[in-house]
Amino acid sequence: MAGAEPYDVIVVGSGAGGGMSAYHLTRSGLKVLMLEAGRNYDPVTETPMFNIPAEAPLRGVGTPDKPFGFYDATVDGGWEVPNEPYTVAEGSEPFTWWRPRMLGGRTNHWGRISLRFGPLDFKPRSRDGLGYDWPITYDDLAPWYDRTEKLIGVSGAAPPRGLTNTPDSPPGCLMESAPPRAFELFYAAAFEAMGIPVVPMHGAVVTQKMEGRNTCIFATPCGRGCSIGANFQSTTVLIPPALATRNLTVTTNALVYQVDLDKAGKAKGVTYVDRVTGEHHTVTGKAVVLAAGSGETARILLNSKSPKFPDGLCNTHGMVGRYLMDSVGLGVAGQFPALEGLPPTNDDGQGTQHTYVPWWGYDQHKELGFPRGYHIEINGGRRMPSMGLAGLLPDDETSVGDDLRARLRQRFGSVIGFDGRGEMIPNDDCYCELDPKVKDKWGIPVLRFHWKWGEHETRQAAHMVTTFLEVIDRLGGKPIGKVERDGRRAISKGGEMIHEVGTVRMGASDADSVVNQYGQAWAVPNLFVTDGAVLVSSPDKNPTLSILALAWRSSDHLATLAKQGAL
Amino acid sequence: MSEPTPYVRKIDRRTALAWIGVVGAATAVGAGVVVYGPRVGGEAEAKGYGTDPKLVAPEKAPWPRLLSDDELQAAAVLADFILPASGAAPAASALGVPDFIDEWISAPYPDQLKDRPVIRDGLKALARKSPAERPKAMAALQAGGDAFFKRFRALTIGAYYTTEEGFKDIGYIGNIAREADEGPSAEVKAALDVRLAKLGLKGVSA
Repeated sequence: MAGAEPYDVIVVGSGAGGGMSAYHLTRSGLKVLMLEAGRNYDPVTETPMFNIPAEAPLRGVGTPDKPFGFYDATVDGGWEVPNEPYTVAEGSEPFTWWRPRMLGGRTNHWGRISLRFGPLDFKPRSRDGLGYDWPITYDDLAPWYDRTEKLIGVSGAAPPRGLTNTPDSPPGCLMESAPPRAFELFYAAAFEAMGIPVVPMHGAVVTQKMEGRNTCIFATPCGRGCSIGANFQSTTVLIPPALATRNLTVTTNALVYQVDLDKAGKAKGVTYVDRVTGEHHTVTGKAVVLAAGSGETARILLNSKSPKFPDGLCNTHGMVGRYLMDSVGLGVAGQFPALEGLPPTNDDGQGTQHTYVPWWGYDQHKELGFPRGYHIEINGGRRMPSMGLAGLLPDDETSVGDDLRARLRQRFGSVIGFDGRGEMIPNDDCYCELDPKVKDKWGIPVLRFHWKWGEHETRQAAHMVTTFLEVIDRLGGKPIGKVERDGRRAISKGGEMIHEVGTVRMGASDADSVVNQYGQAWAVPNLFVTDGAVLVSSPDKNPTLSILALAWRSSDHLATLAKQGAL
Repeated sequence: MSEPTPYVRKIDRRTALAWIGVVGAATAVGAGVVVYGPRVGGEAEAKGYGTDPKLVAPEKAPWPRLLSDDELQAAAVLADFILPASGAAPAASALGVPDFIDEWISAPYPDQLKDRPVIRDGLKALARKSPAERPKAMAALQAGGDAFFKRFRALTIGAYYTTEEGFKDIGYIGNIAREADEGPSAEVKAALDVRLAKLGLKGVSA
């Protein structure tokens, strides 16, 4: 490795941001070292494609070791990572932090929902005085969305609808989704009666013939990963072509904790601890890209202390770790007699939902009493039974034998779950910093989180419940379990939607941001950030597609500067 | 009523040997059959499968099993009371549901630890009944909506229907590679039209 140093660029992280950065920089002819904190991971040989629950311990249910279930494509992680604690400040509302330790990071298991942010999402403050404006507009990012969709493979093509703040992709960007399943046709009838459009979901799944890619086999859950690479994972779509350029070196188990500076104050490399051997290593590069995930990226900066930056790198104005956001999340499920006893169909589908409900109330926020909206992700159908199957039956029923078998058959596929994902406006009570006492196994200070949902969010959450109950009622169903209507109690925990973003935000000047519109640090011009940390707002749209598009745009800028010798 | 055939653990020899190694007090009486002696109390909770288990060919859950043979036999009787064989569908015990119950209540994770005393106490009580008393006892548990019965039944349903045989019985026909997803059939759409019309909603076929 020493022979390659200094690398042109050191990329910290291998998920959406790191994978895309390495993809573009290596294809631009730059020599890149990618450092991943977790182990190597091979989706081709490690994905349990057709395994059934009976083959797994405890029928595959989630446990503290595998919180999203045994087969979930998360290695050595989840809400807790062994040896790598984090803390939540006293008096804070709960915050929880999902981290994997594997090549490709969270792109291996993510939900594949790939919605573009819309024009309003980039200028929230101009719109209603809340939150902050981005230094770019939708039009600045639109070409990068186009390129990203064409590269990663996104389904959801439909005739343009022109819905507010819900961009239609230009022709040629998207593939057609699989047709709506029975439950999707069913719920659409209720939304239509309420005047709310239901449209194809945009999902990072290859649903039609695509050059160089395998097509979806319309079976097996995407959350396990995909051994044939028919959905988007950094490990199947970005890292292999980067490796093929011979410009990429990947080092795994490398937990980066510090950016090193030269005498002139420019980044000269990073220092990491090998999670297996415990040895510390320093590597050098002409530029550094941080894409370790919003929390970890902030932690690296805060731990990079020097005489010039005694409170952490790029933290002169105390902005690193601030403006931490997540999505508002909440779900209600219903059981629907009208779906009982339908002829058996194969509802495995394409992994993502085939349709969804974009936010519809852009012109109603005054009357609604909350300023930002949510979209609805809706799951149902005759999916592979799980340990929760008895939940199909009413709580008070105790049938056995043929009676029980018949009731289960009758109700199989008659449950639909409605999940809201909403925008959160950044607030002063949500941030992360270094814990003054707690350190990880290797003596490196860990993050301490502070969290408090604002009223904007809790009112939005309460509205989600009202909406879902109305839809369930219109469809002749009954909600399952006790439904909490108080938004403050019903809302997800901070971090629970795994959309934590915004700790190193971009902006128009160094007075109100840490990096510029290209993720380039104001204070250290050869240091870039290309993960969710740079986001200025957290729209209802799931962030991964935007992280990919921004990372591509930033990497292109970096590559241009490198070619000009301007780093 | 005659004594039913005893339930025999459905495990492979490799796993049996591994358990013997772990438990120590167990005695192998033949391939696939392990009889446990009394456990020495006070040992720490066993380890789970860890944060990086093999997923494509999962290993059997590594923790020692806790049910005594009497409890396991009671689990078999109760599981088959809930889901006896029916036509082509096998009984719960034939699908190894009692072993699963043992695996579940023996697991070192919070949800399962919560179930452990409920399930074990219930099975112990059932095991104390004579075979002749059990049908009546189980019917009483069912009729009374007993907490142990309801939880055991939920576990039995989950364990049963997460097998290939369970898929067949409930009508799950997925988990096969397909060239395309054609969407619901005309028959399904027609049925939805009728049902949506009853709800005063627009049909899907239009």
